[in-house]
Amino acid sequence: MSDKNDKNDKNDKNEKLHVLEDEKALLIDHSYDGIHELNHPLPSWWMWTWSATILYSIFYFIFYHMVGGPNLTQEFEKDMIRLNEIKAIAAADVSNFDIEHYNTWKKTNDSLKIGKEVYEENCISCHAEAGGGDIGPNLTDAYWINVKERTATALFPVIRDGVEDNGMPAWGEIISKEEMYAAMAYIVSLKGTTPPEAKEAQGEKVEEF
Amino acid sequence: MNDVKMERFKYDDELTKLFIFATVIWGFVALLLGVTVAFQLASWKVNMGLEWSTFGRLRPLHTNAAIFAFVGNAMFAGIYYSTQRLTKSRLFSDVLGRIHFWGWQLIIVAAAISLPLGFTTGKEYAELEWPIDIAIAVIWVVFAINFFGTLVKRREKHLYVALWFYIATIVTVTVLHVVNSIAFPVDFMKSYPVYAGIQDALVQWWYGHNAVAFFLTTPFLGIMYYFIPKAANRPVYSYRLSIIHFWSLVFLYIWAGPHHLLYTSVPDWVQTTAMVFSVMLWMPSWGGMINGLLTLRGAWDKVRTDPVLKFMATSVTFYGMATFEGPLLAIKSINGMAHYTDWIVGHVHSGTIGWNYMIISGMLYYLVPKMWNTTLYSVKMANAQFWLATIGLLLYMMSMWTAGITQALMWRAIDETGKLVYPNFIETVVRIVPMYWVRAFGGVLILAGFILMMYNLWLTIKKSKGLEEQEYMAPAMEKVTSEVNQTAHRKLEGLPTLFTVLTTIAILVGGIIEITPSLISDTFVERDSEIKPYSPLEIAGRDIFIKEGCYVCHSQQIRPMPDEALRYGPPSTAAESVYDRPFQWGSRRIGPDLARVGGKYNDMWHFRHMYDPREVTPKSIMPEYTWLFKKKFEIKTLPKKIKVMTALGVPYTDHQIKNTVLLAQKQAFEITKGLNVDGVDMKMQNKEIIALIAYLQRLGVDGARSRELKKQVRSEQ
Ligand code: HEC
Ligand code: HEC
Repeated sequence: MSDKNDKNDKNDKNEKLHVLEDEKALLIDHSYDGIHELNHPLPSWWMWTWSATILYSIFYFIFYHMVGGPNLTQEFEKDMIRLNEIKAIAAADVSNFDIEHYNTWKKTNDSLKIGKEVYEENCISCHAEAGGGDIGPNLTDAYWINVKERTATALFPVIRDGVEDNGMPAWGEIISKEEMYAAMAYIVSLKGTTPPEAKEAQGEKVEEF
Repeated sequence: MNDVKMERFKYDDELTKLFIFATVIWGFVALLLGVTVAFQLASWKVNMGLEWSTFGRLRPLHTNAAIFAFVGNAMFAGIYYSTQRLTKSRLFSDVLGRIHFWGWQLIIVAAAISLPLGFTTGKEYAELEWPIDIAIAVIWVVFAINFFGTLVKRREKHLYVALWFYIATIVTVTVLHVVNSIAFPVDFMKSYPVYAGIQDALVQWWYGHNAVAFFLTTPFLGIMYYFIPKAANRPVYSYRLSIIHFWSLVFLYIWAGPHHLLYTSVPDWVQTTAMVFSVMLWMPSWGGMINGLLTLRGAWDKVRTDPVLKFMATSVTFYGMATFEGPLLAIKSINGMAHYTDWIVGHVHSGTIGWNYMIISGMLYYLVPKMWNTTLYSVKMANAQFWLATIGLLLYMMSMWTAGITQALMWRAIDETGKLVYPNFIETVVRIVPMYWVRAFGGVLILAGFILMMYNLWLTIKKSKGLEEQEYMAPAMEKVTSEVNQTAHRKLEGLPTLFTVLTTIAILVGGIIEITPSLISDTFVERDSEIKPYSPLEIAGRDIFIKEGCYVCHSQQIRPMPDEALRYGPPSTAAESVYDRPFQWGSRRIGPDLARVGGKYNDMWHFRHMYDPREVTPKSIMPEYTWLFKKKFEIKTLPKKIKVMTALGVPYTDHQIKNTVLLAQKQAFEITKGLNVDGVDMKMQNKEIIALIAYLQRLGVDGARSRELKKQVRSEQ
């Protein structure tokens, strides 16, 4: 195999192979269509990096599949436990309202009975017997001042923060979250009832749900 | 050696020229389609309201045109040109060469017609239906015969490294294509794959990943090894490195396929294997880059002035970048963030544009003047293309990094109360739409550069003063040579058959070890008797889902991550997709995951959403599907479909097999009756939309029932 053959290719005739001084010793004695090859050693950084990736791979595989490292499902379950803890803390925290947390509480407790007790202890003085209204507005009719819908999600912030300028206390600072839940459940249940001597409508008519 | 007889021969360069023409024409088409689909994501109106031109149908056309038409033709041009010269032999057969050329163009035309019409298998980069798949296999074999025939006729005993890469390409693509395409036909243009669920996923991504490896990478490494030393007149940097990086690349690449399936329901050990092999692949890939770039040692002044070398050096640099980013993206935690986002889209294009488009341009600037016996018409114009393409690509990559990372962070953002910060998916879409405009603009620059090249090459050819066909001389190959003092590899280079066999073994190992366990054993799919086959109407709906290419925007695979559990529900299980032929896990979430969308909304929501997505979700970028409300769903083929499914092992009951049509009509009637309450005409009951709703409402329902039952059992215990 010699260069002679390549000279037959007219196009390559006047193109001369360009070999650097330091490479002359590395030039291999064969060529293909005028292409030559040097035989530089493998770059050491290349070898080292490659070896490192191989070692890493072996250890990674051993850790996760042979000596009991967690699998994806276990990692996921751990993450979910952490997430559910955060959710539980947040839900228990007075300042947050979580409808699911509220619904579960309602389902697992006799909410109306507790609600009536909470109401009679804290609210009756201003909202009167069975929500008929007195200092505070009627809570049984379709007219509301501070909420646009008669849902737990909408009621919660009003009860928690009150409307202190108008005489409604901020209950979040006074009673527990569960007690607020109970009061809300009780109020929601009053919808459409007509207690005696009910106060006249105040505020806007809200969409019924 | 002095008295050897010289043989005279000519090369078949007309064939190379044909492939060059095809490369340029299809390259233009592929890029134009790319720009079109890019604008479709920036503005939904560009879907043009026609069924043939929606994103779901044009994106597969773009990818197929780019890979198989543009890059494919360029590969054949480069391989035929260089192989003849490296073997000092004319092609084995002129006729086979012509059959290869025209056959391939026919396949492309068939793809260009069938994909917009909605004939698709729904498997990415393998969308073409079975008759076209068979044609591809036949033409590929023609190519293989012509190539290996040429090796047999060769006058050069040893095979140069470029030829090693060509051998790996031809062998591997054959294996990939055949194995991945095995399907049962329903009719002339519809089939179901023999694999289902996780098996289909594993086979498909073994194919998909290695199509990138052995269609877009290895042939062009061969082309690099031929054209860079030729154009620079420099010896290749390291023969030793060629050997090491060739064998390690072909062996390791195959294993990396399932890194497209990290965090899915394929077995954990397969995922880990794919990840670590991807990491180990980094240096072998860089071996190619080092050999390419260091060959240019001492020729950098030429790189600055010669368009051929400028494009080639840039392409090898992008190759290095992409093969670093690839392993990085295969690391599980990084993949967990990047997967399903535009980061992956950016990564793909740093490969296809940065590596393929650039090296092909360099190759064309080398070949056209040479083959037409003239000089390039304008170096300035070539430089202009270089800058347009480079800037366009940088805009592309940077906008996709930004879009991908932004969206990933928004998806996974959970506030301190444990709730999603962006529960509405559309918020995360609206945020990245500006990046879609930047990307589309980058695409326009890349396309503009390509048009400049077409013009430049055309004027170059016009300026040619005719050519005389050249004759070459070389002695015949010595049959017996003693190679006692040679290294083993050197000897191997003189034995193409053995070389091919060893290459085949190297590429088979990974696939066999990773995929066959899931094919032959049920241990990886926990049985779940609650997961039932789709009803006939749902099958019809599913085929509409596939036909419209919904999978290019929607995944159906929820990963085990807290944010996904909050957004979509519990992680998908392997059992849930056992009846999915083909699997529809998707690869990009341009819209939300649909694995558990069944029951999330009522039928009327879907009815309105499919007609005009923006009516229910303002600012949505999903196309309108108005024709689904006019066209009747295919009911005639349904019995055949159910029979094919049954033959594939889906446990349909006798009742379902016998009364397919009746059952479908009944279910369609029920759905339409429900919609009728909201004013939908009962006449709609035979329309495609009803079948599609049936399918969508089924998604995830069986899995939910199964979990509910398990919970009950647990609480009773
Ligand atoms: C000190 C008197 C007072 C007490 C005690 C009181 N409220 Fe009120 N409440 C008011 C006043 C006054 C308003 C009207 C505020 C306004 O005009 O915005 C009101 C408003 C409300 C509203 C909103 C009604 C609307 O139309 O927007 C709700 C709900 C409510 N109270 C619930 C309760 C509950 C539950 C309790 C017991 C835990 C309670 N209140 C105790 C004075 C009181
Ligand atoms: C261009 C990408 C794209 C294509 C193609 C596409 N979609 Fe969508 N899809 C979206 C986006 C974005 C959203 C989110 C906004 C919205 O609700 O419209 C979405 C939302 C949806 C939803 C609601 C999911 C949820 O949980 O809220 C469904 C169902 C849906 N698409 C079905 C389909 C079907 C069926 C097809 C095929 C006929 C399809 N999509 C094609 C982008 C796309």
